[in-house]
Amino acid sequence: MLVKDVMRSPVLTVDETVSLGAAYTLMLERNIRHIAVTRAGQVVGMVTDRDIRLASSSLNQGGVKPLETPVREVMSHPLVTADPLDPVEEAARAMRERKIGALPVMDGAEMVGIVTGVDLLEALLHLTGVHKPSGRLEVALLDRPGELARLTSFLAERNVNIHSLLTSPSSSEGVVAVARVGTLDTHRLAEELRAGGFEVRWPPDKFSPEPGIRNPEP
Amino acid sequence: MSVPVLYSPHYLEYNFGPQHPFSPQRLEMLLDLLGSLGQAPLYLEPPQATREEVRSVHLESFVRRVEAASTGEIPPDLGAYGLGTGDTPTFAGMDAATRWLVGGTLEAARIIMRGDAQQVLQLGGGLHHAQADLASGFCVYNDLSVAIRHLTQQGLRVAYIDIDVHHGDGVQWIHYDEESVLTFSVHESGRYLFPGTGHIHEIGKAAGTGRKLNVPLEPFTEDSSYLEVFGMTLEPALSWFRPDVLVVQCGADAHYMDPLAEILLTTDAYRQLFTLIPQYAEAFADGKAIYTLGGGYNLDSTSRVWALLYLMLQNQPLPDHLPEPWLRRWGSLLGRFLTHTPLDPEGGYSEIPRRPEIERRNRQVAVRLLETARPYWR
Repeated sequence: MLVKDVMRSPVLTVDETVSLGAAYTLMLERNIRHIAVTRAGQVVGMVTDRDIRLASSSLNQGGVKPLETPVREVMSHPLVTADPLDPVEEAARAMRERKIGALPVMDGAEMVGIVTGVDLLEALLHLTGVHKPSGRLEVALLDRPGELARLTSFLAERNVNIHSLLTSPSSSEGVVAVARVGTLDTHRLAEELRAGGFEVRWPPDKFSPEPGIRNPEP
Repeated sequence: MSVPVLYSPHYLEYNFGPQHPFSPQRLEMLLDLLGSLGQAPLYLEPPQATREEVRSVHLESFVRRVEAASTGEIPPDLGAYGLGTGDTPTFAGMDAATRWLVGGTLEAARIIMRGDAQQVLQLGGGLHHAQADLASGFCVYNDLSVAIRHLTQQGLRVAYIDIDVHHGDGVQWIHYDEESVLTFSVHESGRYLFPGTGHIHEIGKAAGTGRKLNVPLEPFTEDSSYLEVFGMTLEPALSWFRPDVLVVQCGADAHYMDPLAEILLTTDAYRQLFTLIPQYAEAFADGKAIYTLGGGYNLDSTSRVWALLYLMLQNQPLPDHLPEPWLRRWGSLLGRFLTHTPLDPEGGYSEIPRRPEIERRNRQVAVRLLETARPYWR
């Protein structure tokens, strides 16, 4: 699941000279929390309802800012962005690390969407972050009873711990299981799985004709 | 002046068993190669690190578990400390064996502190996955962090550079909030490879913010893209940070022959890295650098990469061919043909159709990393 699958577009933007009051009204009207701020048409920052409420609050230690203040004075910048081809878990990690609630999605210099924490809740049901050092194993399974058990037993027999596991449908008759496993040597595991009849999607068999790493020859 | 080399036959005791990829055979093969080239290192034997020295970065509870496991005892909570797993199984004498490796890297730091040498090569160590309370990914104690802490405790600013194909997570987490340690790891993206971390947004916390840098690369990245983003990111970081010394983990597992990962460096890329890094040391760290080994699981490529490292640091020319007796000896021992030249032959792997896309994405990662960290470079 990629950012482009969960992002929303078009993105509401305001020029950096627009006032806090006007931006807040827009948020209330559209029932949104984030607006991208532009300068000469280029996105340069993000402003949130929280930024505006804090700036205009008497609790703000810096003093209450008048509602005429331009948004550029309270916006967050520099931008933290996502690429449309980023997996959603990467966007989630960026947002948590940087303590922000939304990322503009940039395809080169062009903003093509926005992804917010709420958008990621859907993805959270399917994906999981990396909590422990682990390798990634992706196996295509037939969509029928016992297939996942066959995979997990195989791993258990080799004393390999599964830190997380997610499955998603890949086609009418198949599912893809992505496991985070407690081993550095996922290639050896993949080799054994292949020998055991599993279709391993990751890691690849490096030394097969595709992608084709050649062993040295005389 | 030649670069001092640290090594001890005790290093061979760090051994997880015959089927394990992190094999001491890698060292034997390297030393035999250097000897066969008439370049047998006149090494210094470092003292074993003490328990207290290990404790400078590791928790008491963890060290106790390692000690217990080393005597064959199996505490029930061993797994919670990353021990007794398929990757990091316990073995008799594990605590002592690891402390020999830690002692070598620590001795390198002492040599730098004393001003006895500008550069030091530790022929071992590089156990970058070990965390304060966790053994992980073939690493029990973190020799790099013990050495780094020794240096920072005496007021030095350290830039840690990690070219192992896996993210240097242990070193990063141990020094995550430290102002005087810059960590820089270039690795295959955690999206695909162990340990799963090393994202560009892991930039440190508190006083360490902006000082932990990661360049996660696309699988099947080749020489030119690797070297492009390496220079793009590391040079400005060092130019800003101005360390007193570099600590360099020279894992050889980003080579295209490596069985554990998917980066496609040739030995020529390593030749360029081992030219560039001492130049960076000269330009930004008063010429000071410590080099350690690390991962590297194809014996053919790993021994050649580390031989390059040794020869280049010692300012020795690279031979055109590797010595026949060495090739015969190890070829028959391993039952396989070995590459006859230090550098790889042409066409070691077939063309990568996604190359432009890989290069574009790597470049974008480098740009995004700089955009993320640079605001903190003040």
